[in-house]
Amino acid sequence: MSAHSQQGDRLREETNRSKGLSRRAILTAGGVSAVGLTGLGLARQAWLPTAETFIAKGQRYDRPLVQTIREGLRCCNVQPTWFRGKRVLLKPNLVEPTRLCPHMTTHPAIILAAAEVFRGWGASVGVGEAPAHVRDTEMALIESGVGEALREGDLSFADLNYEQVASRRNRGCRSTLKEIYFPQSVLEADIVVSLPKMKTHHWVGMTCSMKNFYGVLPGIKYGWPKNVLHHHGIPQTVVDIMATLQPTLAIVDGIDCMEGDGPIMGSLKHMGLIVVGRNLPAVDATVARIMGLEQSRVSYLNLAADWLGPIDERRITQRGERWQAVASPFEILDVEHLRGLRAGPLLS
Amino acid sequence: MRHSLLEVWLGLPQSSLEASVDTTRLLDQLESLDHWGYYSSGPTASEPAAWACVALALHGRHMAAERIARWLISIQQPNGAVGITANQRTPTWPTSLTILAWIAIASRDTPESRAKYQESIRRAIRWGLAMRGRVIPKSPNLGHDTTIVGWPWAAETHSWLEPTCFYVFSLRAAGLKTHPRVQEGIRLIVDRLLPGGGCNYGNTQVLGQTLLPHIQPTGLAMMALADASIRDGRVEASLQYLSHTIQKDLASSRAIPTASLCFGLLGLTAHRRRPPAADKWLQAACEQVQRQSPSTYKLALLALAAKENELLSELYQF
Repeated sequence: MSAHSQQGDRLREETNRSKGLSRRAILTAGGVSAVGLTGLGLARQAWLPTAETFIAKGQRYDRPLVQTIREGLRCCNVQPTWFRGKRVLLKPNLVEPTRLCPHMTTHPAIILAAAEVFRGWGASVGVGEAPAHVRDTEMALIESGVGEALREGDLSFADLNYEQVASRRNRGCRSTLKEIYFPQSVLEADIVVSLPKMKTHHWVGMTCSMKNFYGVLPGIKYGWPKNVLHHHGIPQTVVDIMATLQPTLAIVDGIDCMEGDGPIMGSLKHMGLIVVGRNLPAVDATVARIMGLEQSRVSYLNLAADWLGPIDERRITQRGERWQAVASPFEILDVEHLRGLRAGPLLS
Repeated sequence: MRHSLLEVWLGLPQSSLEASVDTTRLLDQLESLDHWGYYSSGPTASEPAAWACVALALHGRHMAAERIARWLISIQQPNGAVGITANQRTPTWPTSLTILAWIAIASRDTPESRAKYQESIRRAIRWGLAMRGRVIPKSPNLGHDTTIVGWPWAAETHSWLEPTCFYVFSLRAAGLKTHPRVQEGIRLIVDRLLPGGGCNYGNTQVLGQTLLPHIQPTGLAMMALADASIRDGRVEASLQYLSHTIQKDLASSRAIPTASLCFGLLGLTAHRRRPPAADKWLQAACEQVQRQSPSTYKLALLALAAKENELLSELYQF
């Protein structure tokens, strides 16, 4: 086995540790079932996954973000040595960019800063995206300003909508999809980093690092929008992609965010935050709390909970700022299917 | 210094309108490629191959077009469908464009040679007519009529604007303008026009909010609706949206989004509204594309958009 693949395995093991525990926990719990329900409950609690998330406040696009991201990753026990010689794919959110609405898409400064961090740690870094709505990816790059940033940062871009594809067995099995098709750049990456925008979502409440991975699936196979996934259930397919795509990291653009009718037509909400983590359900659950949403009522987080990662605050170690200190409720549409998402009394 | 009305309207010096597209160089480059992908690094795919076949055939590069047409026949499945690539048999949305490609080459062929494409065209049309988007009950959450049947991107999913445009355009080129599926497809395209003109990728309004128009889907919709006798103010508004946006945003952009520019111009040309500066913009886009790794898709679209005649009328010669 080459040093390259050994490092890749270590990266996977480290990233899987928090995800995989729940599966082992279930087996272990099965083994001790004779002890009784109380014992089982305690054993399960002890084995449930934990994770760290990092929050930085007061962030701006025109200030150095590299240090924030680097420190955030280190605070979440991400080791720089894991990345030497690795291929890192950065996945921003460029769903349907228009220069009229820059708060819809991941800001280019976040992409450049993340690239600098991983390059500094010895990785080769590329950027990839399969815009979910627009077929002209060149247009998406121009409208979002990301194309210019890529040239500035001498970063390669993979148009994930049109690459060679290959299937992988659906490891999540929450939807009826037997397999999931990924583009070549995603399959060849040692780690895929979700760089989402912190936004509301008019169907599922919020979109962050997990939902952002809809954008690694190729439009040529799933359509524009990726309607195949919608027909198999948005929450189910979000966790299926997450379960099948490993390992991953999240760096959330929470500086200029979107509230109201997200993920496309909402309003700007300035938060000034960067949120970082190795476990995506934990990151998204933390972001949900900041947005004033009850994380367990966000359908895909509920599906992922205690399996792909923790969403319960008690099992997420907060680094940097406390989420309570930066929380500010996001406006959500007043529609039936979103009404239950709002957390109770938000801040006591 | 005096300015002509044209200069004032476009905000350009008149001399800049005189640029023409170097189609010979464009077609030479397109003809030289033996990999027909969206990008030089990606796989050969049915859509770029089909557009390249149409472009080469309509520009009289018969042998090069025929080479691609034969490849498309080689990947046609027994049921008539053509998948997205040779290896990926599903989804089959590019079947519509292969119909167009075979019609384009057959229309320039001798009657004897034409026969070799007719069976492929017949089977592809049969497949296309059987493919239906899934309808869903009307919902106050969605602005469009979810019960109109068009064509989906993938089987067992909803009908969407762009695959419906591809089929309407191709089936009209095949002489099936009055077929009920084509008529319903036209109805779907009109239904998906935004209230103020232009098209989004498919939805019009979601949860009461009107979505944003984009050039590429609008251009495709205008291509499909050309000479369809649609009396709806949104068609004119869509043409105005295309003219205005192409001139204001695309032409002034440091980097030109090739596909959007080409589909936008094809849509305007289909309605005899080709902007006077079209060739200038296309030449700028050509130079940009030629500085990059060769993309069959972009070169083909540029070659098609460079034609000053409406595309469908040229295909009707079949």
